[in-house]
Amino acid sequence: MEIEINNLQHSFPGKPEREALAEINCQIKPGQFVAIVGPSGCGKSTFLRLIANLLEPSGGEILLDGKAPVEIAAQRRIAWMSQSPALLPWLTVGENVALAQRFRPQVSQPGLSAEEALRRVGLRDDLNAYPSMLSGGMQQRLALARILTMDADLWLMDEPFSALDELTRERLTIELLELWRPLQPTVLWVTHHIYEAIRLADRILVMSPAPGRLVGDIQVNLPYPRNEPAPAFQSLLLDLRAMLGQVSKQIAL
Amino acid sequence: MNNRHSEIAAWVMILVFLALWELGVRMLQIPPYLLPAPSVVLQTLIANPAVYARATFITVGEALTGLFLGVLAGAVLAAFLTLFPGLENGVMTLAILVKSTPLVAVAPLLTLWLGFGVLPKIIITGLLTFFPVLVNILSGLHQIDPALMDLFQSWRANRWDIFWHLRLPSALPYLFAALKISAPLALIGAVVAEWTGASGGLGKTMWMAYTNLNLPFLFAAILILAVIGAFLYRFLVWIEKRTVFWVQPLQE
Amino acid sequence: MRRYISLLILLMMILSSCKTLDSFENPLNADIHELTFMAGYKPQANLPFVGVYVAQEKGFFKEEGLSVLIEHSPGSGEHLQLTATGKVQVTTQDAAILLKRRADPGLPLVSIALIGQKGQQAYAALKTSGISTIQDWKGHTIGYKGTPPPDLFALLSAAGLKESDVDLVNVGFDPRLLTEGKVDVYPVYKSNEPYLVRSWGYELEIWDAADYGVPTLGLAYVTSDETLRTQPQQLARFLRAALRGIQYAADHPEEAVEIVIQYAGPETNPDHMRFMLETELVDLRSESTAGNGIGWQTEEQWRALADMLQEYEAMPLVDVQQVFTNEILKAAR
Repeated sequence: MEIEINNLQHSFPGKPEREALAEINCQIKPGQFVAIVGPSGCGKSTFLRLIANLLEPSGGEILLDGKAPVEIAAQRRIAWMSQSPALLPWLTVGENVALAQRFRPQVSQPGLSAEEALRRVGLRDDLNAYPSMLSGGMQQRLALARILTMDADLWLMDEPFSALDELTRERLTIELLELWRPLQPTVLWVTHHIYEAIRLADRILVMSPAPGRLVGDIQVNLPYPRNEPAPAFQSLLLDLRAMLGQVSKQIAL
Repeated sequence: MNNRHSEIAAWVMILVFLALWELGVRMLQIPPYLLPAPSVVLQTLIANPAVYARATFITVGEALTGLFLGVLAGAVLAAFLTLFPGLENGVMTLAILVKSTPLVAVAPLLTLWLGFGVLPKIIITGLLTFFPVLVNILSGLHQIDPALMDLFQSWRANRWDIFWHLRLPSALPYLFAALKISAPLALIGAVVAEWTGASGGLGKTMWMAYTNLNLPFLFAAILILAVIGAFLYRFLVWIEKRTVFWVQPLQE
Repeated sequence: MRRYISLLILLMMILSSCKTLDSFENPLNADIHELTFMAGYKPQANLPFVGVYVAQEKGFFKEEGLSVLIEHSPGSGEHLQLTATGKVQVTTQDAAILLKRRADPGLPLVSIALIGQKGQQAYAALKTSGISTIQDWKGHTIGYKGTPPPDLFALLSAAGLKESDVDLVNVGFDPRLLTEGKVDVYPVYKSNEPYLVRSWGYELEIWDAADYGVPTLGLAYVTSDETLRTQPQQLARFLRAALRGIQYAADHPEEAVEIVIQYAGPETNPDHMRFMLETELVDLRSESTAGNGIGWQTEEQWRALADMLQEYEAMPLVDVQQVFTNEILKAAR
């Protein structure tokens, strides 16, 4: 899915009004894996929510394949994932995964079946278990499986792994890439781990503190799998840190 | 102390209490019209099974029917307010007015208008039970995990889908919390309503027994009410575990 | 889906209890009724109640072509309201209260037969208290039910005592207050509390206001002005059967008590009911009934009571002739 963002601006109502995003302009090609980094409170989550049609922008426009997000969302082409796996505790694993398909999808070709999706993430055997029985990492895998059933060509991920421990996070990062590769949807991945951004994305957008602006747009041309020790990795890491250091005191590794 | 132990402890406490009561009455030679011994109360109960069975059936029937109607009214009203949030203030004000009206004043009026049958009792228990249910379910319908809300909105789910798949299941734990409050209330309400005029039921039996200063009869009725109240509560907890299995109960 | 099934089961149980409840309404009486009688208190052996119970069970009402629905007031005056509005055709009431309600707030009620030719109100003290005359009341606590009754003041006056000589206390129905020493003198109905107190092993000293020249009247059958005007025939048939019932009870007290227990239930002591019946039978007859039959009432009786109430309670004036009528008694002969 191609994304075009023109003069996007957003403020939250209140006394006084809080401007979250100053003018943002950018274009994203289909199949790009884009990471969005920035200090806390810079508006990266707000940015993502606007694209996901969870918020109405105060100004500017967002075009997904030339259409408004409302239309695209109605076709179930946008997959949303956040820090919380958002699983319904009263449904089984299988039912949760199948949930996306329940809302009268207008797509002619739904994605993978629930079973197949679960197999891809390695949870096939837990089909009849309940989410409360799964670990944090398994729950996020479940959320991923749910996305796989949607045949969505835009994945919007708001720090999905930041609640997990480091080892799980690393493992899931690798698994995510494996799931992404055969489908190649456009991915917008918000994170405050620069390290994770470099691992995953072929393009990194850097945002300034609120009101957020795009202050950096870096292509990442490293080959996969990306090794931390590699000098190219390290130099990119330093560059990004410096860039972020200039815009805030807070840097997560 | 695990569940099994605490249950046994509870039973032991009850038995000790009963034993002390029995001993106290016997040793102090307290006449039955002041305080009957548990053995006498039990004897009275066993000697009149048909009378108590019928009275229990009537009162429990009134309580359950009123409870059902109260829950229905509370739940429907809560659902309605969720779909039309603008009306919440107005409706809640009315509901609080209803709740604040003392039953003691309303019950005799209802008896006067509707007679001594079961209808006024059902209305009273309905009025008693509907408010906790309304407040609790309204709470539950609003307390939705925001992450789940985001998910549903990202799917462009309509108001009805959100209600049926998200709000309703989220509200179920609250429904049971309300039921656990309302069920005992309903029982008490039915009994109190019967005191203002009834052709049958445990409340009537209690009133008749008291005005005859037949305390053993009175206490036997009270015993039945206590047992039923406890049983009702246990039953609700049992159903709750099966229906709302995903939530740890807040209190037992 | 599973979780909803348990809820459904709960629902079904409740719904089924609603249905079967209907069949438990009014178990003792027929569905169709032409006349509703509401006893002024719970089922017990007060004489007017007994007359109705016996008439019902022995078929006297049926013989008069009446189908009577028997109800009981829970004791907060509902029977008066319901009779005044015509929902109930006949009820019972204490004569003094009838007079008061006629005066204020002006309930249009009228007595059609005076069953208790003398009232049952009296005062009792434990024999062990040493109080043997009313003069001995001086300095003691005297209980009263509801508002301080005029007959109490009349009694004190007749014995030469002032209200300030005694300590008046509001009590409810609870003779244990007397036995446990919370009051020295307790207001009783002669036919009721003395039985209980004696069964607990205490002896009583009883003072009847009538013995001191204070006029008292007992229970009457009462109807509304409207019903009196529109259904005198029905009332006459009712009265005829009820009076027959009272006479039958006087002749067959044991059977009458059994019938009363049918209405009063196992919570009630049959011996207590026997005592109540026999005590009230004593005041069934008087000079007025001698020539005219039970239930007969005279203007003198009512006037004496009204005067006493007016003197001691500042009751507004009431036309005594409006309060009672013997017309139905005559029609019932």
